Amino acid sequence: MSASTAQPRRRGVGTPRWLGYAFVLPLMLWLAATILVPLAQSVALSFQNVRVIGTPGEFVGFANYTRLFESERFWEAFGRSLIWVLGNAALQTVLAFAAALILKQNFPGQKVARIWIILSWIVPTVVVVIIWRWLLSASGGIVNYALVALGITQEPIGFFSTGDGAFASVIAINSWRWFPFQAVILLAALQRIPSELYEAASVDGASTLQKFASITLPGLQSVLFVMGLIGTLMSFNVFDVIWLLTAGGPSSATTTLPVLIYDTGFRQFRLSQAAAISVVTGVFLLLFALVFMRFAAPPSDDGEEERL
Amino acid sequence: MSLVVRRTLLAVAVVLLMFLVVAPFYWIFISSVKLPPEIIASTPTLFPQSFTTQHYDNLLGGSPFLPYLGNSLVVALGTMIITVILSTLAAYGLYRLRFPGRRLLFRVILITYAFPGVLLLIPLYGLLSDVGMIDTLWALIVVDVTLAAPFATWMLQAFFRTIPMELEEAAALDGATRLGVIVRILLPLAAPGVASIAIFAFITSWTEYMFASVLIISDANRTLPVGLAGIIGQYQIDWGLLMAGATMTTLPVLLLFALVGRNFVEGLTAGAVK
Repeated sequence: MSASTAQPRRRGVGTPRWLGYAFVLPLMLWLAATILVPLAQSVALSFQNVRVIGTPGEFVGFANYTRLFESERFWEAFGRSLIWVLGNAALQTVLAFAAALILKQNFPGQKVARIWIILSWIVPTVVVVIIWRWLLSASGGIVNYALVALGITQEPIGFFSTGDGAFASVIAINSWRWFPFQAVILLAALQRIPSELYEAASVDGASTLQKFASITLPGLQSVLFVMGLIGTLMSFNVFDVIWLLTAGGPSSATTTLPVLIYDTGFRQFRLSQAAAISVVTGVFLLLFALVFMRFAAPPSDDGEEERL
Repeated sequence: MSLVVRRTLLAVAVVLLMFLVVAPFYWIFISSVKLPPEIIASTPTLFPQSFTTQHYDNLLGGSPFLPYLGNSLVVALGTMIITVILSTLAAYGLYRLRFPGRRLLFRVILITYAFPGVLLLIPLYGLLSDVGMIDTLWALIVVDVTLAAPFATWMLQAFFRTIPMELEEAAALDGATRLGVIVRILLPLAAPGVASIAIFAFITSWTEYMFASVLIISDANRTLPVGLAGIIGQYQIDWGLLMAGATMTTLPVLLLFALVGRNFVEGLTAGAVK
């Protein structure tokens, strides 16, 4: 770790203890008001039968939850969310590793490439959606033109017209948006692995694969942990790409849990039911995070304290 | 493997990677200046054969794009200012001062960053409607700060770290007040970090769709993502108009990124790998 971590932190000259709290307080208050309070309200709402906000509801106990657990739509969305997270993780990991390994090499323009690679991550989702709708369009889209011209297909493919096709397309598009972000983080982690390790391994006659397994992977352990945890939660959370591309269709084939929450709350106007889905989803994600932290956390060393 | 083969392979890989990332953007920009018949021509043209600004004229003159842009700017700038203030203060407390519970607070902030925003959609709608903020740009600023501030605080860690404690102590011994130390010594040194989180907050807000689609009701208060999505949803898609809209929406982000892109990427990665 860097020298600044090793050196013990001092409290500064004549710093009263409360000062630290005073600096953090505004942010904590803001987050409490916009996350903690709403969460509590969400739980309260899930035990009522409010349909539209502003209208009074009655206490209905666990009715929303029983309805939820008996609903096929919920379990299907749940399953789709799992496929969504796994599909995105697999595709993005492969793409991000490839991109990071390419960007790690020396080539002219490498500095520019390492920065502008995240272009797709910083533009609004709506733009991503417009781009891919146009590229994949069945009438006039360039991807279909190329596929037909190359003789790969006879007819233009309707990427969003079948359930499986739509789901696969949305996963691919979301991965296109996110893999550069992961690549940039992986690249930074790769650069921190001392090159002497690789040189020493080469002298000892290690193969590329052996070097990857015994130097690269262990060196990436902590960053892979952070990406595995935070990346999974953020990926689970994705709503706008799906909603704007398919609105959850065709016939709910792309309705993941976030889409279901939105649809239930603001299309079908069953806010209490949507709140119940939110609560169940939240509990599930919390359990996932706890299990993940318990079993996948890298062994902590001295410099670990600021990490999760 | 010989050097020549290695070089060639690398060049091919780099070109493929850049093609994957950049080509789609080239394609929408190119399409936005073509005449309508050329846009939907059965044989796509990689270089425009026609040139027109009609889609941009339509966008700026014949659609509510400019009011949407104005709203987006107000929300993004508001989010940026509040996020910078809250996050810089918190980061100073967390990374420069020592107090019991510091680590716990740090973790809480990290967790809120990974917290799925969709779970807040329903209750935040209720809360903001209770305080009469639904359909105001303030509602979006409030939400966007919550989405941006935790990660922004985290990003600052790497920048604050590089500044030696001794500088602050020396200034304090010279009789500078704490505020003076922060404003005159710490902030100028952490300026790249502060710029990065400002951009991060701006981009977070500029791209936010979900909350903006629910918390804003009247057309006059729409932001760009929701406004553009409305154009997609229309019966007959006007591709030229959409491409022009997508290009114009991307432009401000590109400009900002060109200014501080390097710092931004540094800040982004420094927090994660330390």
